[in-house]
Amino acid sequence: MIEVDKLGKHYGSLEAVRNVSFEIDDGEVVGLLGPNGAGKTTILRILTCYIFPSYGTARVNGYDIFDQALEIKKSVGYLPENAPLYTDLNVMEYLDFIAESRSLTGNTKSERIEWIIEECELNDVVYRSIDKISRGFRQRTALAQAIIHNPEILILDEPTTGLDPNQIIEIRELIKRLGKKKTVILSTHILQEVEATCRRVLILNEGEIVARGTSEEIWREMKGETILSLTLIAASSQDKLPVTDSLSGLEGIKEIIETSKLAKNRLALKLSLDPEADAEEAIFDWAVERGYKIISMIPKAFSLEDIFIKLTREGGENAG
Amino acid sequence: MPASIRPIVQKELKSYFNSPIAYIVIVTFLMFSSIWLFYLQQFFVMNVASMRVFFSIIPIVFIIIMPAITMRGWAEEKKLGTMEVLITLPYRESTLVIGKFLAGFCLLLIMSLLTLPLPLLLSRFGNFDWGEILSQYLGVLLIGAAGISIGLFVSSFATNQISAFLLSFFVLLIFTLISRVSFIFILPPWAAGFFNYLSLGFHFSSFQKGLIDTRDLFYYLIVIGLFIYMNIKALIFMKWS
Repeated sequence: MIEVDKLGKHYGSLEAVRNVSFEIDDGEVVGLLGPNGAGKTTILRILTCYIFPSYGTARVNGYDIFDQALEIKKSVGYLPENAPLYTDLNVMEYLDFIAESRSLTGNTKSERIEWIIEECELNDVVYRSIDKISRGFRQRTALAQAIIHNPEILILDEPTTGLDPNQIIEIRELIKRLGKKKTVILSTHILQEVEATCRRVLILNEGEIVARGTSEEIWREMKGETILSLTLIAASSQDKLPVTDSLSGLEGIKEIIETSKLAKNRLALKLSLDPEADAEEAIFDWAVERGYKIISMIPKAFSLEDIFIKLTREGGENAG
Repeated sequence: MPASIRPIVQKELKSYFNSPIAYIVIVTFLMFSSIWLFYLQQFFVMNVASMRVFFSIIPIVFIIIMPAITMRGWAEEKKLGTMEVLITLPYRESTLVIGKFLAGFCLLLIMSLLTLPLPLLLSRFGNFDWGEILSQYLGVLLIGAAGISIGLFVSSFATNQISAFLLSFFVLLIFTLISRVSFIFILPPWAAGFFNYLSLGFHFSSFQKGLIDTRDLFYYLIVIGLFIYMNIKALIFMKWS
């Protein structure tokens, strides 16, 4: 159980996290999604008691982040961003240090280390110096560090950065497997990551939560429209106003997201369409009627950028 | 129960000895102090059965040696990002600081033990006062420990090893040699006394002569304790910034 209550953090004049509140139940796998600099890492650092918030508070596993940091640290496994490791130790020495720091001793310690080496597939590099192993092995060593003590809560900051596609799939499988028994909160800027692993999503932008809900809820809402990228020649006009004016009046067009003028009287538009109506046909007729020439008309999937443009434009929360 | 201090000390020692730093520090220390004793001070020409000249150079050598031991301290943790791992493990800040201090102290102890063959071998040529030598070694451990505690504290403000080394070097340089300002300027007695009292080097001189003065003993213990305490506070302060 993680409860976050009106949390905020200033770094000098920059407000990295603003008034963020959310709750995560036991056994949930939740994704923090957002572009770089959205405040994901700051929130995770506060939850793991690495830093204190400037205002607000949070409870992790029922423990207060100010007064019961030690208890939180015991029940949490944390993979920091960029998988930091001691480069002058070998993998075994590192895991041994972490195990002992987690108060594992004797047989339990050796069993846990053996198990984690198996689970994270570190067999080939056990006695290799950490500065001489590949990025993939480093990431897995860092992940091993986070789960060696079988924590109730797992906090992972960008767990798949720097991995190749096969390794990414493996790590996601591992997270899913762990997520069956644990509370997991992970941050990422990759949309598919959330779709693949998380049940619920919090979308952050500029330190604020701009959307939240189950993955399905958010994607259904996002996928409730089609994006169309349209390029046309409006011979009669240097000005884009008459075009956009008449276009936005057409049925089935929800919004003109972007317009930009290209060379040779060409105009590029990005439109959001209602999937129920046959807007493409209407656009074609509209262009013929006015003597515009359509150069291209390409339907696009909603990208993360589109979601952000949309969410940040509307501002605040629009779901859940 | 927070985790015990032992894993931290072990990890730090492994880091020291897995990298060249420990060997460089030990070899430099032994070579320089031996050259000083036999070549620069002409130990055998002096014909005195005492290690005083050997120990007289220790505070100066430590101005360079101690920062080399402590420069990794916190600066390297910050640079590697492992600070985030360390702080989020179930340790108290005090355990982390004292653990790093003890690891540095172990290195100092090893270094000091490795100089023991000197008096042991030389004792064949004359009658050494073993009480004096004991006092001298106690002095070495105390001034060294003070240097480690200061160096670690300074390292918590640095972002890389080099700046940690240089900063600690200057702080120790001033702290050790501040008593010498009265050699250069004519100072009123109270000021000279004040500077002497602050100086790491000044308090070493009685140990060097074979005297264990409780005032000097307490001075070093206070310096060690104070900088360890400030280091703990600095770690906690970082969480707020």
